Amino acid sequence: MAGLHIDKINKSYGPARVLADIDLSIVDGEFVVLVGPSGCGKSTLLRMIAGLDAPTSGDIFIGNRLVNALAPAERKIAMVFQSYALYPHMDVRKNMTFGLKFTGVEPSERERRVAEAARMLRLEDLLGRYPRDLSGGQRQRVAIGRAIVREPDVFLFDEPLSNLDAALRVSTRVEIARLHRLLGATMVYVTHDQIEAMTLADRIVVMNQGQIEQVGKPLELYYTPANLFVAGFIGSPAMNFFPAEVESIEGDKVRAKGPTIARVTLPAGSLTRGSKLTIGVRPEHLTAGAPGDFSTTGAVELVERLGEASYAHVRRADDKLMVAEIRGRDTPAPGQTVTFSAPAEDVHVFDEAGRRL
Amino acid sequence: MRGSFAKRTMAEPLSQVVASMPRGRFLALMALFLGPAVAIYTLFSIYPLIATMALSTYTTDSSGAYQFVGLVNFVTLLTDAVWSKPFWNAAWNNLVFFAVHMLVQNPIGIALAGLLSLPGLKLKSLYRTVIFLPTMLSVVIVGFSWNLILSPLWGVAEGALKAVGLGSWFAPWLGLPSTALVTLALISVWQFVGIPMMLIYAALLNIPDELIDAARVDGLGHFRIFWHIKLPLVLPTIGLVSILTFVGNFNAFDLIYTVKGALAGPNFASDILGTFFYRTFFGFQLQLGNPTMGAAVATVMFFIILAGVCLYLFIVQRRLRRYAF
Repeated sequence: MAGLHIDKINKSYGPARVLADIDLSIVDGEFVVLVGPSGCGKSTLLRMIAGLDAPTSGDIFIGNRLVNALAPAERKIAMVFQSYALYPHMDVRKNMTFGLKFTGVEPSERERRVAEAARMLRLEDLLGRYPRDLSGGQRQRVAIGRAIVREPDVFLFDEPLSNLDAALRVSTRVEIARLHRLLGATMVYVTHDQIEAMTLADRIVVMNQGQIEQVGKPLELYYTPANLFVAGFIGSPAMNFFPAEVESIEGDKVRAKGPTIARVTLPAGSLTRGSKLTIGVRPEHLTAGAPGDFSTTGAVELVERLGEASYAHVRRADDKLMVAEIRGRDTPAPGQTVTFSAPAEDVHVFDEAGRRL
Repeated sequence: MRGSFAKRTMAEPLSQVVASMPRGRFLALMALFLGPAVAIYTLFSIYPLIATMALSTYTTDSSGAYQFVGLVNFVTLLTDAVWSKPFWNAAWNNLVFFAVHMLVQNPIGIALAGLLSLPGLKLKSLYRTVIFLPTMLSVVIVGFSWNLILSPLWGVAEGALKAVGLGSWFAPWLGLPSTALVTLALISVWQFVGIPMMLIYAALLNIPDELIDAARVDGLGHFRIFWHIKLPLVLPTIGLVSILTFVGNFNAFDLIYTVKGALAGPNFASDILGTFFYRTFFGFQLQLGNPTMGAAVATVMFFIILAGVCLYLFIVQRRLRRYAF
């Protein structure tokens, strides 16, 4: 078991810079999820940890060992791929033992590890089957089993659930969480799905355009996003943003207003008069009717009823749409003008550069 | 449920239209779609094949009239000393010709494809084009060029070998009974090595990158990845290449006719079934043409190839199916 330390990693393909000065430390046994939109460099970073791609500059340490010059097999890592990448011409048992043969593991030890992994993943009945005879979920369990038998210091997952259907994705997600608890190994997991990130991670690394936007615990990212990108990326439906300007400062209270905001009262902090702001409020924190520190008004255009909640799409004064979550049986009718409000603690404030205040 | 629904909506419009059709119209429709192909195939493949087989059961008497003799021509071909000796000689030579292709052409084709598929290789398309180039040349030109190159009188081969200090190795390979056949086979290998290379290269490109990544994580180097992962996965293509080589070799005629003439010298050392058939059917120099015996040779060739293809289809290909993705 070992932690992982990434020091100033850069990666360029010609003039295109896909990773810029990435620093990241992962402690032993931690489950870290790299999340971000496609093309943000998260998979590239994972492939560099695996040793499948070389960084243009920077160092990677696995358990205090500099691994830059080491081949993937010498790094004590195991990787699970999106397409499972099982060897089609080998049965399940052979798929799992194949790599061990080349790293000098004794046959009896191989058998022991396969038996243990098969028990852990309930693969005992499938050991003699070929990958083409397995379902998607079974294939992914075999791929995870192939990683387990290597007894690696670090597990790397590259979007392992993307090829599964919705129901299987949930059950396999639970399986992976269970495995992490069972093995206590360091795991690095790449996904573009924020639900996977929120449910699995000890810490989430949000990436965008080759840079790390924020590193934090799932609820930290949700409640105190460091910038507009994280605020908009984490949470579904996405946070509503409102342009605003500081109007007056009265003691420890600040009043700000904007074209779409009737009223917002904020703690003073470092704000000065005339500061341009972006106010963010999550749909689930907006309440219809009730008074609050923040309030905005608009005409309901469409209501999506999901059962446990409904989403009202509301046309604001600046002609953009915002979303408000409504609980309960009473939903506003389309065309109705409604005032929504939120308490100060649920209002996120960002400065002109998009940083959290 | 959902799957069967999707399948039904896909298939139903067609099957309903066809099912509700009057029988006569249905048959007319079938004739319309299948007719042209069946007609052309029958005219140019099935009819000549059957006519050849029929001809092989006749013989001509001194007046030139055809007489039905059953399988006598085949018995003559396989047992009569005058016929069987050149026939078995040609059959054996043909086997050697095929063996050289299997042992030289296909392994080199596989190795070249493996090298071409290496990541980071520069000038890939140049190598690919250059290696494939001879395949596009006429066999006549290739045969004539090699005849000149290897000529002990004015060929460049001897000079080229001398230049690298191997002058003593040179021999008039095309003129020696012991080497003529293998030399011709190697000329054919040189010309056609691009075909297995291209087919196997295409199959290698089909192997997903993640599979190769997985093998790298498992600790395999380039050679082991090729041997343990890529090669097994292109076995179906190698099987296909083998059967194409087999059919091509047992139908071969043109290269040997170009380089050595119909007598396939020296002393029939390079005689294969194609040239043997040519002399039998059309005659050459003092040998008179004998269409009925020629038809018998052609029929035997057909059954040799049929046997090989059946062996491949029913035994080899079935076993290779487990390598499918």
